[in-house]
Amino acid sequence: MKKDNKVQQKKYFRSLEHLEGSKEYTEKAHREFPEGASEMNNDWSRRNFMGIMGASIALAGLAGCRRPKEKIIPYVQPPEDLIPGIAQQYSTTMPFGTSSYGIVVESHEGRPTKIEGNKLHPSTLGRSNAMIQAMTLGLYDPDRSQNLLQDGKEKTFDDFTAFWVEKFATYKESKGEGLAVLSESFASPTLARLKKQFGKTFPKASWVTYEAVSDENIYLGLKYATGKDIQPVYDYSKADVILSLDSDFTLTESEDITANAGFAAGRTIEDEHSKMNRLYVVETQFSGTGGVADHRLVIKQHEIVRFVTALAKELGVKGSEETPGVNLTDPCTAWLKPLVEDLISAKGKSLVVAGRRMPYEVHALVYAINKELKNIDKSVAYVEMRDVEVSSVDSLKSLADRMRSGVFSTVLMLNTNPVHNAPSDFKFSSALKKVENRIHVGLYNDETGKASTWHIPTTHFLENWSDARSVDGTASVVQPLIAPLFDGKSAVEVLSLVATGEYVDGHTIVKETWKDLVTGDFDSSWRKVLHDGLLAGSQNKTISPNYKSEYIYEVVGYFDQTVKGGIEVVFASSASVFDGRFANNGWMQELPSAVTRIAWDNVAQVSKKTADGLGLKSEDLINITINGVEIQMPLWVVPGTADDTVILELGYGRKNIGRIADKAGFDVYPARTSEAMSFVSGVTIAATGRTFEIANVQDHWSMEDRPIVREASKEDYEHHPEFAKHAVHHPPLESMWNEHKYDTGNQWGMAIDLTTCTGCSACTIACQSENNIPVIGKQEVRNGREMHWIRIDRYFTGDVDNSASVEMVHQPVACQHCEMAPCEQVCPVAATVHSDDGLNSMVYNRCIGTRYCANNCPYKVRRFNFFNFTKETPEIVKMAMNPDVTVRSRGVMEKCTYCVQRISKARIEAKKEDRAIVDGDVVAACQQACPANAIAFGDINDPESNVRQVKDRNRAYDLLAELNIRPRTSFLAKIRNLNPNMPKVQVAEIVEG
Amino acid sequence: MSSNNKDLTDLKFQDELLFAGNPTFGSVTEDVSKVVETKPGQLWYVLFGISVSLTLMLFSMIGYLFWEGTGIWGLNNPVGWGWAIVNFVFWVGIGHAGTLISAVLFLLRQRWRTSINRFAEAMTIFAVICALLFPTIHVGRVWLLYWVLPLPNQMEMWPNFRSPLLWDTFAVGTYFTCSLLFWYVGLIPDLATLRDRAKDKWGKLLYGIFSLGWRGGNRQWQHYELAYLVLAGISTPLVLSVHSIVSTDFATSLVPGWHTTIFPPYFVAGAIFSGFAMVMTLALIARKVYNLEHIFTPKVLERMSWVMLLTGSMVGYAYSMEFFIAWYSGNEYERFAFINRAFGPYAWAYWIMITCNVISPQLFWFKKFRTSIPILFIISIVVNIGMWFERFVIVMTLSRDYLPSSWDYYSPTIYDIGIFIGSFGLLFTLFLLFLRFLPMVAMAEVKGVLPEADPHHGGSH
Repeated sequence: MKKDNKVQQKKYFRSLEHLEGSKEYTEKAHREFPEGASEMNNDWSRRNFMGIMGASIALAGLAGCRRPKEKIIPYVQPPEDLIPGIAQQYSTTMPFGTSSYGIVVESHEGRPTKIEGNKLHPSTLGRSNAMIQAMTLGLYDPDRSQNLLQDGKEKTFDDFTAFWVEKFATYKESKGEGLAVLSESFASPTLARLKKQFGKTFPKASWVTYEAVSDENIYLGLKYATGKDIQPVYDYSKADVILSLDSDFTLTESEDITANAGFAAGRTIEDEHSKMNRLYVVETQFSGTGGVADHRLVIKQHEIVRFVTALAKELGVKGSEETPGVNLTDPCTAWLKPLVEDLISAKGKSLVVAGRRMPYEVHALVYAINKELKNIDKSVAYVEMRDVEVSSVDSLKSLADRMRSGVFSTVLMLNTNPVHNAPSDFKFSSALKKVENRIHVGLYNDETGKASTWHIPTTHFLENWSDARSVDGTASVVQPLIAPLFDGKSAVEVLSLVATGEYVDGHTIVKETWKDLVTGDFDSSWRKVLHDGLLAGSQNKTISPNYKSEYIYEVVGYFDQTVKGGIEVVFASSASVFDGRFANNGWMQELPSAVTRIAWDNVAQVSKKTADGLGLKSEDLINITINGVEIQMPLWVVPGTADDTVILELGYGRKNIGRIADKAGFDVYPARTSEAMSFVSGVTIAATGRTFEIANVQDHWSMEDRPIVREASKEDYEHHPEFAKHAVHHPPLESMWNEHKYDTGNQWGMAIDLTTCTGCSACTIACQSENNIPVIGKQEVRNGREMHWIRIDRYFTGDVDNSASVEMVHQPVACQHCEMAPCEQVCPVAATVHSDDGLNSMVYNRCIGTRYCANNCPYKVRRFNFFNFTKETPEIVKMAMNPDVTVRSRGVMEKCTYCVQRISKARIEAKKEDRAIVDGDVVAACQQACPANAIAFGDINDPESNVRQVKDRNRAYDLLAELNIRPRTSFLAKIRNLNPNMPKVQVAEIVEG
Repeated sequence: MSSNNKDLTDLKFQDELLFAGNPTFGSVTEDVSKVVETKPGQLWYVLFGISVSLTLMLFSMIGYLFWEGTGIWGLNNPVGWGWAIVNFVFWVGIGHAGTLISAVLFLLRQRWRTSINRFAEAMTIFAVICALLFPTIHVGRVWLLYWVLPLPNQMEMWPNFRSPLLWDTFAVGTYFTCSLLFWYVGLIPDLATLRDRAKDKWGKLLYGIFSLGWRGGNRQWQHYELAYLVLAGISTPLVLSVHSIVSTDFATSLVPGWHTTIFPPYFVAGAIFSGFAMVMTLALIARKVYNLEHIFTPKVLERMSWVMLLTGSMVGYAYSMEFFIAWYSGNEYERFAFINRAFGPYAWAYWIMITCNVISPQLFWFKKFRTSIPILFIISIVVNIGMWFERFVIVMTLSRDYLPSSWDYYSPTIYDIGIFIGSFGLLFTLFLLFLRFLPMVAMAEVKGVLPEADPHHGGSH
């Protein structure tokens, strides 16, 4: 309803009430899901579970539409601005490790259904990524832990409180001796304050922070170089030349949204004369970032380390002059000189970044390189770190050792799952058994929960009060959109209880912290914070630390100077499940990888040459032996992966977590040790002779020389600005009849820039969330029935046998809304028809499911409900559905609607205000999510509209326009900004006219 | 065929070539009616048992299909149509022979058709029933299928008259109606014969009702002949229209490999080809089982093999022409579609098709093969296998169209296979019932071509 959040937000928070602690509430909340809860146990039978869930929700009735408890308002006196059927939007924050993402959540009658980025927040800028988009589903996950358990038996939080109050006294006396906290990493004023309080109460207690995938190496490297704990804040838009050293900054690294946005800003070109940044990527795995690279060097991980050393010397980084240097081999040698020249010519306007997998010494060198290139305070700034807890593998090791020796009697594990993801050489789970009281706080009763004496279900961030700091230090509040569904307690509440011995509700605790953060009148400042979602001007101080060049010699000398033979394994975080935490999220599991196009499993990714050398092919089940640990996985050929390298993604192969996580993929953590958290050499691979079926949505690599993704180098583009339009020659497109003229009123259209699209797939999940697209499971994906309305096509060009020559392109494809739609002509019942504003509409009610339209769609974007895919959707997951969009039944065709519900909403608003729809009133879900801003959407009949202007650019082309179907979606040809001095890399040819 | 029309007609329908063993009016009536009037042999029961079992399997699988959805088949995203449509086109094609034999050959005065026309018409009707089954069950929401009919409704919502699927509905519906009427009209004199010979109450009653009071009077014969002629006239264009329209399901789409103007004639030729093959298969079986060698004479069978040779060659020509035009068009997608057919993932199916449809009928150039009953039987089956694969190859063109990102491979599930096999069960069940209760040879017509029927005894004037 509102474009202006301010008004509703203020009213929303005017009537804060604290029902917390009231007896009725506790009782009611506790009785919320008793039937389901008491029967859950460990019986994971799917049908049983859903039957129970359905029944319990049905009995709970309207309780499903609960508003946060602080503000329960009876509808006899409806809250102002709350009109049933009209969504409201609230700002909150998604904490994620040391990052945080400011978001705006759409709420339908107290039910959060859709997440967008918060325009004010420095880490989201109004955009988002796939992970953020999928969080609504995570909230309504019926497999989340629903019971507080002591030794597997159901208890209440009061029982735990009683238990702790007793312990508290004991530990207070002993100053916390024998007490330890193992926490997830965070950047949160409240958690930091509580941690401080904990330390004050229990000075002898231990506090350890661990994340399986973290930026620890980056922080360590910067500390090594500067002696300070500092946080890098990148601004990719200020860099003309970017060098990524194994950094997949557009997808799996921290702060991918701003990276995508900044990177895209530097290469959004209006015409052939526009300036465009240049990206060099040196990597092992084929990443999405590698796909958009202008030049990509594929080498093994340890060779990257050597390459950085050589680069530092070649650049003349202070302190490197004396070093012996590294003898590079081809292709690195050929790369070095032109790269260095390019970096130097862009001094002050370049950026070198290294990925979190790189050892800390590399990050120290990268700091020196950026310093040398005068990039600091331009494309990269360093800020102090406040309220941040950084993961530390070493301290986890010390914790495990001390646990094993019986030092601890109580360990509190806060939102962390070390039993699953700690380095295997720590033997964490056996060490944990030596601790008497093992308290686990988590969203799932996971591996660690099951190994604990107490398991406390925690709240999802959409259910609790907390706060966070973004990487630049901007403080923001996490406010609940809904009362805890499963009666969890937030980390803040548990930690507060542990630190103080008494339970205080999260709201009070967070407000307590913020009394020191805001200035002026607390109530009004607080309200403003809640409305904006953040505290403006709370950034951390920028630091320009002194740089001690002495360490360079050490670092360069440190690295092994030899090229290691044999097969190297690389542990990669998954773009779908991250470190395993999203393993039970159906949207993320079913999201095909942008590179492999595989859903539902992780695979051992190798290059074609490596697979051929081993005599193996995709789907062959192999045994990989790493340091004596054998893991079994299917192999998958990914062209463009470094030879003799196996990429293994973390976080899969979970057991007894939930219906989604179980049986999806293979657990590789057992093979990951603290010595080799990122990559390890000396690996053997043996075939098992068996195969494993993989759900891959795109079998075919090649574009078959078809003009699908049209691509040129910047130089060629300058010479042939219209190359994209001339890529296809066809007879004049004439119609046999008088065509309908779509020239009045709003005419909706879209344009997608293939130069800035990095294949991050945020659009796919945003669309899934907005349009209630079902999750169909691995078997159905394998059967080729994936339902995504917008898919990311991925093609490889070059010689697959030669990884160095392989390039990757991405192309998001949704319904193109052809004006002369071939699907419409063939439907016998006229279930798909054209609207006056140019939409190819799908009338679900009328569809009888002949699938003729799908056959006749040249883009194959139509999706068919082969089964009743939503039949088994648990009741609670239905709460994630967008009430503005129909849920489709079995036997019905569906496809992208250009978010027709959003168009209707804008039209109604405009009509009420008696005005025309203006550009920007309608934002499609994919467009809104796209961190690269690669999708333009709007009225193509309006010469001023953004989409019209984008479509008028000379590199715009319509895919398959030669069929005379007049697609409404255009693509902007992909341009690669090649450095002419670089060794030749094959680029798709321009089809000359 | 039509050029040597006259020769054929004149050619000896008096010299025992069409009917062996010098049948008389009486013996024809006796031979044909006997089959209906006596209890069938054990073989009939065995065959009927098998057919009914397959039919039951068909309907239980259809039940499961309706319950679960079309996902039980091997369909996927690029391949929206699978075996159901392959089978539909296959059965419609088979259903062509009946009308061709009855109507077209009737109008062309090809009197050798009399021994097989009843038979062929029955097969046509049953094949069309099988054919109609498939588009019915292949839709996602079968309970709403009636929406394809132009039924007046308060929403004034009409079907989309631009859609070939709607044309199908009309074309196949019309064809079925006309074929049924044609068959029934032809049956009336013979039903009256059976009525007159019936000894039991039910026979008298039912044959009595359906023979519509036929007494064989002159005026009745006159009206009958006229009605038959008119129906033959109506049916004749349908032979061409049905499969032409079925082919537009493919030809009017823009799928490369489908979008070609050669489809209508080539589909019609293919349909006649497969229809004759199917009639041949059934006739050879019936001939053996019911000892009707003197009615289905080698001469008749040889003429059928001529038709198969002709239409088979037409189909072969069409296959090569498709390739030529794909190359000549300069359209890369078309070219790819055809190269992919012959050398892509479905190459095996393509070469089965070529072997069965193009190569095997060429044997009919040799009289030795044309007159060998076992060879005719084998080739008739081989041709039908080939024609099924032709439709399979065409439908599977879907698996690789414009954007390689969507390419996929279609493999049938047990439900695809089971329903197809079950449709044979349905055909044979209906056919065995026909053999049991209705005269399988048009007695009245056969009598018309016996030498006795010709007062001039074949005098050449």
